[in-house]
Amino acid sequence: MIAIVQTYWSMLLRALGQTLLLTLLSLIFAMIIGMIFGLMNVGSNRVLNFIGTVYVDAVRGVPLIVLAYFIYFGVPAGIKMMGIQDFRLSALQAGTIALSMNCGAYMAEIIRAGIESVDKGQMEASRSLGLTYGKSMRLVVLPQAIRTMIPSIINQFIITLKDTSILSVIGFPELTNMGKTISGNTFKSLQTWAIVGIMYMVVIVTLSKIAKRIERRTSLGR
Amino acid sequence: MADKKVMVHVQNLKKSFGKLEVLKDISIDITEGEVVVLLGPSGSGKSTFLRCLNQLETATAGTILIAGADVTDKHTDINKVRENIGMVFQHFNLFAHKTVLQNITMAPVELKKMTKEEAQAEGMRLLKRVGMETKADCYPSQISGGQKQRVAIARALAMKPDIMLFDEPTSALDPEMVGEVLAVMKELAADGMTMVVVTHEIGFAREVADRVVFMDDGYIVEQGTPQEVINNPREPRTIDFLNKVL
Repeated sequence: MIAIVQTYWSMLLRALGQTLLLTLLSLIFAMIIGMIFGLMNVGSNRVLNFIGTVYVDAVRGVPLIVLAYFIYFGVPAGIKMMGIQDFRLSALQAGTIALSMNCGAYMAEIIRAGIESVDKGQMEASRSLGLTYGKSMRLVVLPQAIRTMIPSIINQFIITLKDTSILSVIGFPELTNMGKTISGNTFKSLQTWAIVGIMYMVVIVTLSKIAKRIERRTSLGR
Repeated sequence: MADKKVMVHVQNLKKSFGKLEVLKDISIDITEGEVVVLLGPSGSGKSTFLRCLNQLETATAGTILIAGADVTDKHTDINKVRENIGMVFQHFNLFAHKTVLQNITMAPVELKKMTKEEAQAEGMRLLKRVGMETKADCYPSQISGGQKQRVAIARALAMKPDIMLFDEPTSALDPEMVGEVLAVMKELAADGMTMVVVTHEIGFAREVADRVVFMDDGYIVEQGTPQEVINNPREPRTIDFLNKVL
């Protein structure tokens, strides 16, 4: 085990870096996607409700691995059929898109539930003072919704971090993919996967500890 | 009465929730400075009527003019009209994430009626008026129901409204806190504020109202001075209701 760490530590760390990069990019886009579709779902506009529901149902109804294959292989093939040659997505691009779409659908649900958990009277009071829907949402409802959403968002972040491992199937050089390579080279599966597992665990436990602290701080003064 | 400005003009107002017709045909004029108390059994449409006035519920049919502005017209900027209509809710609806003072200053500052400093000075003045100046930096969760409602009144007053709507302002309060809220409302009435109040406090109606309106089943059944409606009701439904609550 120590031999593996000594030989491969720089590659393992680089792979971990790729995992974190993919997670971070996906989370940023997922927040944006989640906010857009989440807000679509709480409004009273039926067309927007419909679009929001279709998106969430469609993405949640497809396994991430299928979504990743679809975007990495399927989409470029489709574009080629439309007569555009040389269109390719890198594994990072395709991985980010797939993971953002997937995480975004779950974020949309978290945001919708968070907003709906805020008493309707808060919006009414704000509207009765003459504030617009948008301002009321931004100044009154969302600040309260975010507090209840934080634990679910943290949970979703951790799930997304773990889901990056699925993207090893499209050849993205993240940690799980590196594990495959190393165990293939060394024939030491037990040690390799133990190391990879511990690396994930250390990162996730650290992040969730930090998150807990943030959570505690934001719930003060309530 | 003829020389006084009409603040609220409602004509043939109807409101349905799906198949359920809650307001069937309501017409009423309320003049400046008048205190109108709406009485009636639950489900009679009092609260719905009140909420139609500032379009928290959109009217199904009919016309509502607030100080001349037609709030049922889609082209009217409803937010501008609402700035002139204060509303006090049964469950207070104070903004839970803001302090008492911030609750009051938010709307005037956001809507550019006042600078932050002006709004804070005005906020403190209003808090003094409702006897809550010592709680300016508390959060709503730290004060009692009666105190919350007094802050809610101050919040509505901060927009300097021409008319105040009260939707059962004392119904969610412990009995010993009802008095402090009614006292603030009486003072407002004495200052000449136009008020429309939905309440079960018959004593308040008798003492403060210029006009009592009795509603039942989506219609105005009877209206007049408290002396007429409460002491000498003519309609059987009014008599029946008053027998139950008095």
